[in-house]
Amino acid sequence: MSPAPIQAAPAQLEAERVEVEIGGAPILRGADLSLECGELVAVVGPNGAGKSTFVRAISGLQPFSAGAVRWSGRVLPGLRGRELARLRAFVPQRMPVPSGVLVREAVTIGRSSHLRPLRRLQGEDRKAIEAALERAGVGAFAERPLTTLSGGELQRVQIAIGLAQEAPVLIADEPTSQLDLGAAVGIATLLRGLADEGLAVLLVVHDLALATAVADRVVVVAEGKTVATGSPTEVLTSERLAEIWGADARLTAEEGRTALQVAWLPGGVRAA
Amino acid sequence: MSAHGPASHQVSVSLRRPLVYGALIVALAAAVVASLALGAVKVPVSVVIDTLLGKEVTGPERQIVETLRLPRTAEALAVGAALGVAGAILQGALANPLASPDVIGVTGGAGFGAILIIILFPGSIALLPIGALAFGLFAAALVFAIAWSGANRGSTGKVILAGIAVLSLFTAGTTGLLAAYPEKAPSAIFFIAGGLTSSGWEEMQAIWPYFAVGFVAAALLIRPLDRLALGDDVAASLGSRPHLIRLGAAIAAALLAAASAAIAGLVGFLGLVVPHVVRMAGGTSSHTFVVPASALGGAALLAAADTLARTLRAPIEMPVGPFMAILGVPLFLWLLRKVV
Repeated sequence: MSPAPIQAAPAQLEAERVEVEIGGAPILRGADLSLECGELVAVVGPNGAGKSTFVRAISGLQPFSAGAVRWSGRVLPGLRGRELARLRAFVPQRMPVPSGVLVREAVTIGRSSHLRPLRRLQGEDRKAIEAALERAGVGAFAERPLTTLSGGELQRVQIAIGLAQEAPVLIADEPTSQLDLGAAVGIATLLRGLADEGLAVLLVVHDLALATAVADRVVVVAEGKTVATGSPTEVLTSERLAEIWGADARLTAEEGRTALQVAWLPGGVRAA
Repeated sequence: MSAHGPASHQVSVSLRRPLVYGALIVALAAAVVASLALGAVKVPVSVVIDTLLGKEVTGPERQIVETLRLPRTAEALAVGAALGVAGAILQGALANPLASPDVIGVTGGAGFGAILIIILFPGSIALLPIGALAFGLFAAALVFAIAWSGANRGSTGKVILAGIAVLSLFTAGTTGLLAAYPEKAPSAIFFIAGGLTSSGWEEMQAIWPYFAVGFVAAALLIRPLDRLALGDDVAASLGSRPHLIRLGAAIAAALLAAASAAIAGLVGFLGLVVPHVVRMAGGTSSHTFVVPASALGGAALLAAADTLARTLRAPIEMPVGPFMAILGVPLFLWLLRKVV
């Protein structure tokens, strides 16, 4: 059985010169981004560069002090929560897991922005919930409590919650950073597949080999600013890895496999 | 990778909630009938049912059921349900198992307001519910004003710290007043211990709008609280503002708890424990289940405890608070040992 495609209206995201201050300290000092349907964009950068703050700001989860964010041409601070919920879904790195809540119930909660207060689920809501469960690959354990899931299964459930929103843009903040290799591959395949089906996917990710494999474009954030945007192989050169990450490393991509070759030790050799 | 999801587990999960609902409804019906039938005068159950159905019943029994026990039972149901719901939505909103109407200052304020009326206007004891309601809401407003301003407004830690501080302030005021006017202590004891009275419909007529608004708000908060249970980020992704959900839940809980204190004094324990009991029994923390089940459970528990409190040493009435603890604590501890 092939799962029903996720329904979504065409949309677009533009962010220009976004600045964020937290407690008076500048965290983001001018970051830009654009995103279109069918595209997967990866935001990469060192720890503390402001990647998460950047995607939280454009998602409406974090107030920004300057700059412009437009969702399908509409300015962000002017959008009501319910409208924003239909334009983008935000998948956090790790959500809290309430006891006794089943996978299907959690995904149903993801549908709640479409429901009027006290109204029951309609036929189309049930369809959207089933489609989200199937597409994220969690249908087989839909009746299990969240507390019994592995990290990889839980991440898929979080993505299913986002898909139930039926928003044209899916934003995932480091979805693979706590997962084992196999689970990370599964999430990468899922997110790339969603983009191929027409969703716009924005991914914050540390793993540069993974970003190179799945992303159409990468946005490099360093010290609160976007310093480069473009195709992964053009942007993530050895010079840039040295300049931004301070590491002696080289990205290679051949026959659909990507690798990050790192000189982990000075000069690449262990001291005797 | 999910083939091992045991079928028996699925069955128990899907059957458990209807079973708990069924048990709560049976307990509630039994408590209501007992509350109407038992007391200083025993009224046969058949007479109770005939009276409720509006059939011709003569003699004093009809009057006892209609004018004394029916209002009292209604108060027990309203207060029990209100405290259960208040506890459930506060524990959900603050993601803290220790949350109860105490932590938003309501009980401290209500106690102070009632003692103030007892001391300042000893002649007009009818003002006591109003005093308790007004000061209960005032204390909660104080907590909200502090907790929902400045940096980190509406964060769980800030709400709880502000609540505990305001509670201490009003509790100090209450003990201070009682120490200064020791001769008033006997009349204050019943309010502080928590108890219902057979005083007809008057109090409910004045207080019911607060219950009504509180219950409607709680029903509207069920879905937002379920979103919040998946974290502030998921709630925000779904278009909610987490700190406003918490504020709404705190206001609804304050209305319910202040109205309860106006009717029944400081009935502790119920608001804290009933939501835990239904969560453990139902095996879920989903608010779609926990909020209505806490209403049923709280109503049944308070009606049963009130019946016991006024029949065990009839015609002497004892405060219901201690009795509820005697009934509820063993059940709670048994569940705690078994489940957690």
